[in-house]
Amino acid sequence: MTHLVFSSVFAGLLIGTLNLAAAPQGTKGVEEFDPLAFPGKVVGDVVVPVPSEVFSVLDKLGEPNWRAELRKADLPPSSDRTKLSLLFGYTVAEGFVAVQAEDKEAVKDLGRDIIDLAKSLGLSKSVLPHAQSILDAADKSNWSAIRKEFDQTQKTVRDTMEQMKDIDLSHCVSLGGWLRGTSSVTSVVKKSFSADRAELLNQPMLVEHFVSSIEKMPAGTRDHDVVKSIRKGLTIVLQQMEGAVDGFSKDAVQEISKTCDGLLTEILAKK
Amino acid sequence: MKAPFEGRKMMNVSRSSLVKVACAALALSVASLVYATVDEAHDFTMEAAMPFVEQGFIVREDYWNGEVKSGQKLMITHQLFKGNEYAFWLGTSQEGVTLDMKVFDEKNQPVQIKATSDKFFMSVRVNPPKTGTYRIVFDLKSKKDAGVLWALSYGYR
Repeated sequence: MTHLVFSSVFAGLLIGTLNLAAAPQGTKGVEEFDPLAFPGKVVGDVVVPVPSEVFSVLDKLGEPNWRAELRKADLPPSSDRTKLSLLFGYTVAEGFVAVQAEDKEAVKDLGRDIIDLAKSLGLSKSVLPHAQSILDAADKSNWSAIRKEFDQTQKTVRDTMEQMKDIDLSHCVSLGGWLRGTSSVTSVVKKSFSADRAELLNQPMLVEHFVSSIEKMPAGTRDHDVVKSIRKGLTIVLQQMEGAVDGFSKDAVQEISKTCDGLLTEILAKK
Repeated sequence: MKAPFEGRKMMNVSRSSLVKVACAALALSVASLVYATVDEAHDFTMEAAMPFVEQGFIVREDYWNGEVKSGQKLMITHQLFKGNEYAFWLGTSQEGVTLDMKVFDEKNQPVQIKATSDKFFMSVRVNPPKTGTYRIVFDLKSKKDAGVLWALSYGYR
């Protein structure tokens, strides 16, 4: 991740030494780690998992009907770069759903949407090779190659945005993707609720990361109507996650689902 | 009519510009060298990943990288999902570097199940017992360099 070079923050508040010494013999012989006594540096950058990381677990826990999770959304025409970035992340995440559903036509449609969004964002040059690879791999039903290309596409776009000092837009790409991925996860979990499936929603560190990213955005982006809604929605999601000490209830999953879906409706609104 | 010193001034400006251009070129070449080396560190993580890919691991395109003082510990927090198996690959392009990496859960217990190392990289596997935040703690000790360039990639299956 090229944008990650040396953005680590010194964990000055953490005093003492790293307690990595082996436990006394006769106990379990395990090493203990005290993050509050970590003397090193904390790398502040967060790598947001792609939706397929969660989808792969859902596949192991059952056989979700991924085709039923696909959304044939028409992307609203827009010249608003914040919204376009959120839509870009949304579309890539939808691509991961299409791969899971092994729906060739949906993948191709999404590949074309990606090209259109990249043009609107002025990023065609860096995105076109990936989009073309997605279309080619879809013809061959090469699902692993498509998954890799979706991941690469998102990384390329975010890296390019960061090189152009549009870090806020890069975060919007991640946000749009995470919201769409989480919405799919809640949908699958609601249809076949189990503690193991619901536990996949335990992602407070990621939500805190997004909240912190929004707070650091320039006022123009932070005060964008949709971004403000996302900020508010993330607080609700975080409350549900933090309240799930003994596991997620069906109501908690429903609340996260409703929040994510509401935000996606705003992202997709023709305004 | 030009003042007699104007040409000289111009020449001085040109010399100064030349020096600036030379410095910029040098800086650029050093920067490219550094980036090339950071990229090489990532290349080594991909080399470490190869046998894992053969076993069905999917490698993420995103990764962490940077330069760190030799021996300085670094910590990364990362979201893992119970049900997946993860592999982390730490790499450097510098010779004579000893690498160490461990992964801890939310209760600060080590969760890595297998670690292997080579000249330029090391790998650890993790089967997360719960879905949540994990800490990856690592360091790179060089026998000859004060700073070490590193990259950390991961995959899942």
